[in-house]
Amino acid sequence: MTPPTTTTRRRARMTAQSPRRPLGTIGLAIGLAVVALFAAIRILTPEDPGTALADAVQDFVTLSASVVIESLPFVFLGIVLSIAVQLWLPPDFLTRRLPANGFLRRAFISLLGILLPVCECGNVPLARGLLQRGLTVGESMTFLLAAPILNPVTIITTYQAFGWQDGILVWRIVGGFVIANLVGWVFSRHPDPMSLLTPAFQAACAREHADAATTPRRGARMFVEETSAMLPALFVGSAIAGFIQVAVSRDILITLGQNPVLSVFALMLLAFVVALCSNVDVFFVLAFGSTFMPGAIVAFLVFGPMIDVKMLALMRTTFTTRTLVQLTAIVALASAALGLAVNLAA
Amino acid sequence: MLHSLVSRWKGVALTLVSVVAVLWLAATEQLGLYINPDYAAFTVVMTIIGGTLALAALALAPVQDDHEHHAVGADDEHEHEHSHHVPAARARRVGPARRRIRTASAIVIVAGAAVALLVLPPATLTARTAIDRDVEVTAAELAADAPSLAGADPSTFDISDWALIANQFDDPAEFGGIKIELAGFVSPVPGDPDDSFYITRFKITHCAIDARPVGVPVHLPGWREQFSVDDWVVGTGELAADPTDQDGLALLPGTVGATDEPGQPYVY
Repeated sequence: MTPPTTTTRRRARMTAQSPRRPLGTIGLAIGLAVVALFAAIRILTPEDPGTALADAVQDFVTLSASVVIESLPFVFLGIVLSIAVQLWLPPDFLTRRLPANGFLRRAFISLLGILLPVCECGNVPLARGLLQRGLTVGESMTFLLAAPILNPVTIITTYQAFGWQDGILVWRIVGGFVIANLVGWVFSRHPDPMSLLTPAFQAACAREHADAATTPRRGARMFVEETSAMLPALFVGSAIAGFIQVAVSRDILITLGQNPVLSVFALMLLAFVVALCSNVDVFFVLAFGSTFMPGAIVAFLVFGPMIDVKMLALMRTTFTTRTLVQLTAIVALASAALGLAVNLAA
Repeated sequence: MLHSLVSRWKGVALTLVSVVAVLWLAATEQLGLYINPDYAAFTVVMTIIGGTLALAALALAPVQDDHEHHAVGADDEHEHEHSHHVPAARARRVGPARRRIRTASAIVIVAGAAVALLVLPPATLTARTAIDRDVEVTAAELAADAPSLAGADPSTFDISDWALIANQFDDPAEFGGIKIELAGFVSPVPGDPDDSFYITRFKITHCAIDARPVGVPVHLPGWREQFSVDDWVVGTGELAADPTDQDGLALLPGTVGATDEPGQPYVY
């Protein structure tokens, strides 16, 4: 892993430089003091259901907070898995076991979600961990896009909601698999894949390769870095999702639902806006089952887990804006094509 | 100093804000205002794990990182060593203006999160969202879930069942004069704003963002003199043909009175 010379130099530097030493008990004390302060603020603020805020502002806060609270456990789960992968998975474990052929490799990677069932918000930190463990950029994208759909929880909830009706379940699985592999293939052909990543994440990868600290300290540092990357993005993404909910009238979307072409785009737009977890989006769209054509529902169920406002904010921690624009375009076009084809056949 | 402090610890700060907020909501039994109680246990467990890791990180993680050293441009020797490893070393030299913007936006996010989760009181969605999401749309969407009356015990029906029944049946005879009592908030009936209102609740599948309003229309001319939109009321009475709307049924109330918002305002 690390050449011994670097290790010794690092050790020497760690004792010489105070900022690189952990805070120890002082840090813990600061943390507990902060927790106590926050708890005091929360408990002492009057819990008056007053009408200080306008309804629209109030609902914006409630909706945004609900997205944060709903996603947070999955983000923590993703971060924990990501740290575990980086700390304990030998660097070449995956690369050694996966087939050498690019297509087969990505096909296997798109099934990893069955073993690591995290929904999409937890997937971003996990994908970051896998990327640092030797997956290429294209392969990590395949994982990121496929895992929320090709995972047992999503498949079971989709079956519960739709059964075999209109082939929705089958098209969701097939569509998710094909699109994720298509994207992985496209980005695997990029001449300089590292340039697809944000500089901050590239730096984190490089630092990871040159790290000789003890396991708990490395884990602690990863937690600090992952939460610093993920949580601001989660809060901003949730605020955007909450704002759009309040600002965009639902009528407009629903009136579009009957048209075989427009219904597909309307539900894709809705998926982008409502930013639901892939485990439960199906119960939400079930509501539209009577008003929207099946192709539109398939497009919603394939596009939504891959791309939405919250996911773009989270993915921006890792991929450059340019990459995300291309990624969104490919996924949107492919989902729309799938939805239109299902509508035509229906 | 401030820059590196903020960029290093913003994630831990946001973690602690959210952990305190979620655990307080759980302790005061208000988590259900945001998510379906089915997910409460998972949420609390993961939150405790997140909080524990954040405290451990404060004790164990290095106070600063090589990364921030660069940003402040403190150390030439590091610069050397690292540009060697890192292809993107160029991109990490951030100008002072951009650094200020980054730090400021991180502070805004943490402060905003603290205000939203720790200062503002937890709240239920208002009638505004019920109007936007449209009670009639929910009724049409959920039509297939309407309970069957044959052999059912109507006393087990909740407001969402009654809302679907009221929407789908035209003939009040089928209900044999069952007396029902419903509690919910007031939202206007678009087609008949002066004589009728809905007793409304939100139905939550997973979290408040998927909330859908369900409502039973109540025929009570001049209701606006007694109640305003968003007030919580209890209505008792029988379902009967809606005097203004020939399709569907409405609650012809014996009594309608004001009530307090219950601890559990949503149905799931």
